[in-house]
Amino acid sequence: MKRITLKSVVTEAKLLLIGIPLLIWTLIPIYHMVLFSISPRDTATSGKLWPDHPTLQNFDFVFYQKHFYLDYFWIQMGNSLLIATAVGALTLMVSTCAAFAISRLKVPGGRTVMNLALFTYFIPAAFLAVPMYKTMGVYGLLNTQWALILAMVTIASPYCIWVLKQASDKLPYELDEAARMDGASPMQLFRLVYLPLMVPSLVAVGTYALLLAWNEYLYAFLLLSNDKDVTLSVALGNFLSADDSPWELLMTTGLIYALPPAAIYYTFKRYMVSGLTAGAVKS
Amino acid sequence: MATVSFQNIKKSFGKTDIIHGISFDITDGEFVVLVGPSGCGKSTLLRMLAGLEEITGGEILIDDKVVNDLESKDRDIAMVFQSYALYPHMTVRDNMAFSLLLRKAPVEKTNERVAHAAKILNLEHLLHRFPRELSGGQRQRVAMGRAIVRDPKVFLFDEPLSNLDAKLRVAMRAEIKSLHQRLKTTTVYVTHDQIEAMTMADRIVVMQDGIIEQIGTPLDLFETRQFVCRPIHRLTLHERVERCFACER
Repeated sequence: MKRITLKSVVTEAKLLLIGIPLLIWTLIPIYHMVLFSISPRDTATSGKLWPDHPTLQNFDFVFYQKHFYLDYFWIQMGNSLLIATAVGALTLMVSTCAAFAISRLKVPGGRTVMNLALFTYFIPAAFLAVPMYKTMGVYGLLNTQWALILAMVTIASPYCIWVLKQASDKLPYELDEAARMDGASPMQLFRLVYLPLMVPSLVAVGTYALLLAWNEYLYAFLLLSNDKDVTLSVALGNFLSADDSPWELLMTTGLIYALPPAAIYYTFKRYMVSGLTAGAVKS
Repeated sequence: MATVSFQNIKKSFGKTDIIHGISFDITDGEFVVLVGPSGCGKSTLLRMLAGLEEITGGEILIDDKVVNDLESKDRDIAMVFQSYALYPHMTVRDNMAFSLLLRKAPVEKTNERVAHAAKILNLEHLLHRFPRELSGGQRQRVAMGRAIVRDPKVFLFDEPLSNLDAKLRVAMRAEIKSLHQRLKTTTVYVTHDQIEAMTMADRIVVMQDGIIEQIGTPLDLFETRQFVCRPIHRLTLHERVERCFACER
C-alpha cells in the first residue's frame, strides 16, 4: 500500500486544484448545451440547473426541420459529412505519398519540401482566407464544395506529412532493403509493406484531418454561400443573425453536430495517441 | 550456384574512402567469410554485392556477368540480415512466400518451395505464426527460409547471429553450415566473430581499414599468422585464434 506522506498529499492537492477547474471548464459548456436542448423554449433561459419539464421536442424540431433556420438541416449535415470525409481521404492520400517519398525513397529535396510546407503554419489560417478566396475565384471553384475541400486539404496536409514522416522514420529501413531484394518495386513496397505497417498513424492522421474539416467555420463561411451547399457549422452561425434566435434549437443542433466527431474520436482514440506520437521518441 | 568476383572494388562516402581497391574471387559453391573489426568495410562490401550500395569503382561479377548496374532483385541473390528484417504484419508462410508472390509465381510452385524450405529448417509447425510470436532463433530460421525459397545463385549473410545468445549462436552456426553443405550454394558470410569465421568458412577474407589483410583457409590463416605474429606461448586455442586476428604487422 502506498505510504501517505505530506508531500504526496500536497502534490495530489495541487493536481486537483488544476484538474477540477479544467474539468468544470470543459464540462459546463456541454452541460449548458444539454440543458438548453431538453428545455422548452419559454423556460430555456430561466437559469435553472435542470428544467422542470425536460422535453425532447427540440430534437423533433431539428430532425423534422420544423424551423426556417433548419430548412436544410439534413442536406447541411450531409455536406459536412461529405466534405469532412473527402478532406480526410484526400489529406491521407497526399500526406501518405509525400511521407513515403521523403522518408523511404529519400527523394532529393524531400525534407526541404516538408519544411517549406510546415513553414506555411507561421501564417495564421485567417490571414490566408482572402488569398484563398481569390485563388478559388480564379479557378472558378467559388461556391462549390471543392473549394472548401481543397482549402482544408492544403491546411491539414503539412502537419499530416510531418506526423507520417516521423512515424515512417521509425520503421526499420532493412524492411525496405529486404523487400527490394525480394523483388518489390516502389509501388509494391508502398502497398504491401509500408501501408500495412503505418495503419495506426494513418488512422490518427485521417481522423485529425476529418475532424479539422468538420469543425471548420471561417473557410466554410467564406467559400460557400448557398444554403444548400454550406456545412452545418455555418448554418449554426446563421442562428445568431437575429435577436430572437431560438437558442434551444441552436443548442440542440450543436449537440447533434458534436455527436459524430465524438463517436469517431472515441472509436479511434487508441490510435490517436499512438499514431500521432509514433516516431516522437527514438527507441 | 555461381562464381563471384570482386575486381578492384572501391567505395567512398563523399570524400571519405571506405574501401580501397579490393579484389578476390569466390568459386562456385564456396563458403567465404569476411571477417574484421567494426568499420573495416566488410558489411559495405557485402551490401555492394547485394546491390544495396552504389559501387564507386571497380566491378562485381556474378557468374562472369558484371552486375554493377543491376538492381538487387535482378542479381539472383538472397540476403539474411542481422536484424532478420521479417515483415511484422505477415505470417511466417507469407514472409517466405513474399518474393514468389511478387514474381507472380504459380500457387503450387510457391507452396512447394515454402514447404520444402520449412521442412529443411524445421519451421512447418510455425508457418501460421507472426514474427512477434517467435523466438530469436526461430526468426533467424525464417529469415534463412525466406532466402532459400528464392533458390538464389548466392546467399549473403550479414552478421546473422549477432543478436542471438552465445548458446543459440553455436547451434545456429552448425545449422547454417549444415545448410550450406546440403544446398551447396555459394555463400558470402560477414561476421566480426573470429570463432564463427574459423569454424564455418571454406576460406576467410580478413579485412582491416578497407583492405584485405589476408585470404586463406582457416588452417592456412591459423598457421601462417602464428609465424607472422610474435611467438605464442601456452595460449588456449581460443586465445590463439584471437591473437591470430589481432596480429599487427
